[in-house]
Amino acid sequence: MSGLSSQFWHSVNGRMLRAAWARPQFKVALVFLIALIALAVLLPMLSSVSATTISVRDRFAPPVLWEGGTASHLFGTDQLGRDLLLRSLIGLRNALVIGVVSVFGMFVLGALIGIISGYRGGIVDTVLMRITDAQMSIPVIILAITILGVSRPTPFSVILVLILAGWPTYARVIRSVTLTESRKEFVRAAKIIGAGPLRIMFRHIAPNILPPVAFIAVLDVARMMIFEAIFGFIGIGIQPPVPTFGNILADGTKYLINAWWITVVPGLFLFAALISLNLIGSALESARNDVLGGRNQ
Amino acid sequence: MAFVLTFLLRRLSQGIVIVLLVGFVIFSLLRIVPGDPVRIMVGPMATEEQVEQIAEELGLRDPLPVQFGRYLSDLARGDLGNSFIKATSGASVAGGRDDGSAARAQVLDLIVAAIPFSALLAGLGVLLALIFSIPLGIAAGLYPNGWIGRATFAISSVFVSLPNIWLGILLILIISVQLGWLPAIGYKGVAYAVLPAIVLAVELSAVIVRALASSVAATMQENFVQAGIVRGLTMRHMITHHVLRNSAIPMLNLFGAQLGGLLLGSLFVVEYIFNYPGLGLLTVNAVFQRDFPVIQGVAILTTAVLVLINILVDLISAGIDRRLQY
Amino acid sequence: MTPNAALANGDKAPVLSVNGLNVDARLATGDVSVLCDISIDVAKGEILGVIGESGSGLTVLSRAIMNWLPSPLQATKGEVNFRGSNLLKVSAAEMRRLRGKEIAYIGSDSSTALNPTVPIGKHLVSKLRSVLPQYSEQQARQRIMELFDAVRIPSPRARFNEFPFQFSGGMMQRVMIVDALCTDPALLVADNITQPLDVTVAEQIVRLLRDLRDDFGTSVVFSSASLPVAAEISERLLVLQNGRVLEETTPQDIVSSPKTDYTKTLTARVPRIWSVDHTPPRSVVMKPILSVRNATKAYFTKDPKTYFGKQTVEAVRGVSFDVLEGENLGIVGESGCGKSTLSRLLSWVEQPDTGDIFFDGKSISKMSNRELKALRSQFQLILQDPYTCLPGHKTVGEIISEPLRIHRIGSVSKQRDRVREVMQEVGLPAGSDLNLPYQLSASQRQRVNIARAMVLNPRLLILDETLSSLDQVEQARLLDLFEDLQKRHKYTYIFISHDLALVRRACSRVLVMYLGRVVEMAENEKLFFDPQHPYSRALLSAMPTLEKNRFDAEECLLEGEPPSPVNIQPGCSFRTRCPHAMEICGKIDPTPETHGLSHVECHLVHEREMVQELDRQSMRRHDP
Repeated sequence: MSGLSSQFWHSVNGRMLRAAWARPQFKVALVFLIALIALAVLLPMLSSVSATTISVRDRFAPPVLWEGGTASHLFGTDQLGRDLLLRSLIGLRNALVIGVVSVFGMFVLGALIGIISGYRGGIVDTVLMRITDAQMSIPVIILAITILGVSRPTPFSVILVLILAGWPTYARVIRSVTLTESRKEFVRAAKIIGAGPLRIMFRHIAPNILPPVAFIAVLDVARMMIFEAIFGFIGIGIQPPVPTFGNILADGTKYLINAWWITVVPGLFLFAALISLNLIGSALESARNDVLGGRNQ
Repeated sequence: MAFVLTFLLRRLSQGIVIVLLVGFVIFSLLRIVPGDPVRIMVGPMATEEQVEQIAEELGLRDPLPVQFGRYLSDLARGDLGNSFIKATSGASVAGGRDDGSAARAQVLDLIVAAIPFSALLAGLGVLLALIFSIPLGIAAGLYPNGWIGRATFAISSVFVSLPNIWLGILLILIISVQLGWLPAIGYKGVAYAVLPAIVLAVELSAVIVRALASSVAATMQENFVQAGIVRGLTMRHMITHHVLRNSAIPMLNLFGAQLGGLLLGSLFVVEYIFNYPGLGLLTVNAVFQRDFPVIQGVAILTTAVLVLINILVDLISAGIDRRLQY
Repeated sequence: MTPNAALANGDKAPVLSVNGLNVDARLATGDVSVLCDISIDVAKGEILGVIGESGSGLTVLSRAIMNWLPSPLQATKGEVNFRGSNLLKVSAAEMRRLRGKEIAYIGSDSSTALNPTVPIGKHLVSKLRSVLPQYSEQQARQRIMELFDAVRIPSPRARFNEFPFQFSGGMMQRVMIVDALCTDPALLVADNITQPLDVTVAEQIVRLLRDLRDDFGTSVVFSSASLPVAAEISERLLVLQNGRVLEETTPQDIVSSPKTDYTKTLTARVPRIWSVDHTPPRSVVMKPILSVRNATKAYFTKDPKTYFGKQTVEAVRGVSFDVLEGENLGIVGESGCGKSTLSRLLSWVEQPDTGDIFFDGKSISKMSNRELKALRSQFQLILQDPYTCLPGHKTVGEIISEPLRIHRIGSVSKQRDRVREVMQEVGLPAGSDLNLPYQLSASQRQRVNIARAMVLNPRLLILDETLSSLDQVEQARLLDLFEDLQKRHKYTYIFISHDLALVRRACSRVLVMYLGRVVEMAENEKLFFDPQHPYSRALLSAMPTLEKNRFDAEECLLEGEPPSPVNIQPGCSFRTRCPHAMEICGKIDPTPETHGLSHVECHLVHEREMVQELDRQSMRRHDP
């Protein structure tokens, strides 16, 4: 009961994680998501064909359980005979990386701005918050269209757009957390023992900003994955031949009547990943309420 | 009343600054990108001199702030400029020989023509979402641990995890292609708006239901609800007169901060999927055609609308809860 | 009307009669008894006081009478008879009919009892009309207005349309009294209603409730955690401990002849002001360690009534005093008097708008950041809430050593030794340096706070309500600790507190604050036995005490609450509640008449002194 691990488990973050773990939906979704990720990482490595291998002989093969399906392509193939399972898994991998990296980016940017804004107050706060307001008033899609639509989109620019669109939420939430935290007695206590503003902001306040935003971050990974798919779908995402959910679905719509599986299969994989992320996120949300609701541990 | 006036004055002036700021950013972004829009306009056959001449005429060679200033003064007169591509007739004139701008459609006209379609779709979507979510959200908020609360949680989890593009395609596949119940592509009557509206509604409901349920549940936990019962009021009275009233505030804020952007975003995507002739389709096509004046016009307009919605929402919330005026 | 008079009226049957009531908490691990075999009778027009410490079952009893027990609590045995019918057995519909109409309830937390988004008047009208449908909207309004007058809410017509958050705690409690009494109920359950209030406001509410009982003839069950308050208002007293009635007595007998040991300790623990001698340490060197000169602090908030206006909240308005090396200075006042702002100024967490604070004669505002940091080791502040002022994820050792690390004092091993040393001094068990705050009790956490403040060897300790959240026993223990530390380290203390009894016990000199000003500063004995300022007298008269109060509240304490610190009018700020207000008080702000270490801001005193001075002068003239 001593040392680092105990210290972590009794911090707000540790307590929130324990509270989330106590919920069955959290455990099930987490295990499921990890399995999905493992599959997405391992299967393309082990498979003999790649996601971009074209095989005209195998084109439009339906999933194995349907008539004409083959065991070599469990989930069927697309119009160029590429394996849909592999393409979906690679798409999932790309979407997850983009989702996680962009959410991390917006969290870091938002936290920096939020903590400074909330702790400093005054004119710094006003200016930063007006910028946040302005940024929040631009719909993501408009931002994406103006930035990605006019130049050739790369994974980097997609992530950049998402970060740009997403950071204000974090800045706002973290600012208000900082405001409440900095009015708390322990901050006053820290000032009185001579702690400087940097020490207070990043040693005393920063450890407490996670619980209110952790669930937003997890839910946002899911949201960003949807955006990534949308961008791909309307042609402003990562460009083919790199498989993304967006461009697979966009391809699929052309063959909707004859080969429904080209759109349905990748969508199912995306949906599976999203629902597990959303379940984890809402478990964290209730865990936050448990932890921050009652003070008595 | 003093509050309303100062509030409007303050927020509107802030709003104008925000819209200008956003306008300028978008304006600049569209100018600094590689690829000369004039080349797209006149087609690959035109000579270098022709390109330069048209560019001069359109003022595209002036410094950025000058161009933006001109754009603003036009904007003040209700002129959003002319489309690079679309002719007044609606046909694409890109690469055509006529180089006069007279034949090119006014951006404002294009937008005005598209708005009724988008408004119909958005209105229908919001209506469906509200019809579905309000009763369900309240019921789930009142009985968060009952079967209705659990079912609502499950439904909203599924809804929020359905990517709109996929859902749109599935609906076309099942309802339109397989069952033939509703038309899907284009617009030839209100029936064409139903499927895309369902996609919108699913997306909105996921958020509304969850937020409403949690805000009703949170209000039910407030001390004054139980205190009201002991003061001699009925539970029914407390719910209808107090709980619902107070739960409305987070809902309104949700509409301002989140749903405006969400609705707009999915409107664009859904219109594109269903080839529905609204603002979204106009814009997405403009992206493909590098029709910058259209993109710019839509961007500024939508930002302004979102800013206005937010101001309105905050005003109404402050009317319901007077503490917000302090 | 006394209970005997009520009985003489022929109303012999008790209004409320609880017989052998048992309440259990039905937990998964088994039933736990919360109330056991409670029997009470309350006659018509009688006020029954119920006292007990937290955990004694006070609130559970009040709620059981309302048949309003939250799960997992359940009445398992006994009856709660109201006019002969057992409330625990009546139908839900009948209970609904009785609640609010025949039996009314007021809780301690009145600030959250009404929906904050609905105006006060609307709450009361809708309650009255829902309970008594024969009232028309107009009649209901009329009735509520009349009662607002009766409970002395100023300008009732305007306040009717205001919102709950615009009411102070005391006003809100008056509103809840109107809410309870508007239907003319037979029984009122008042559950600890004075608990969150300041002493003068609480005194006013108690007085009001007694008057209303006389007018309405309502029976009252008045539960309170404060023995003196309950003793003041009640005709009979019930002592509750661990869910059992320990003894039934009267306010007179509980002091003179307590029957049980528990009641004896309970009465003994109520602090005495006048009948006990206190000799807190005085300054020997008479040299100021900290000097405050004309400090002011104002905050700006948005004014909702004007277009671009700002409101100025004047929290501290020109305060000057010296703290002498080695003394214990007390700063007392009620909520809103500016003492917490002053505490922030004293600890230099915020800076005064004008004026300055000097430490050892050096101006703090002129110090460089480095000097200020060095100064931080000289004076320390210990805060009220032992829960929130410790970072929850750090170990006790890390918390106590943080000041050393910030000030880069000593090597890691030296720091560790110093932490051990301090921990031992404040009485923290050895080895608890690896514990996390949640593993400690409230008083141990407070000791961690003290250790953290001490580790830098400061000379001045500011205690901002440090002992307020602890019970009397713990308070006494920590006071002993402070005394002990003072002897060893020659500390100077500033006690900032709302608790007059604590200040009486611990401080050699006392400052009384009212609306941002120090209205009186005097030696302990002088202030408590011969206060000069009318507010000091009012404050003392409102003290809940078991002794005979030297000051009569009826005489010293007028109706009304402290004015808002927004847009303070010129003149003496206490004049609105002062029994001696004169014409000059409304015009001219009394300036402090400083006599070295004591002063009074009051025209009355100045006048008296002027007369005395004139007398002296004329006497001197007549003297050869």
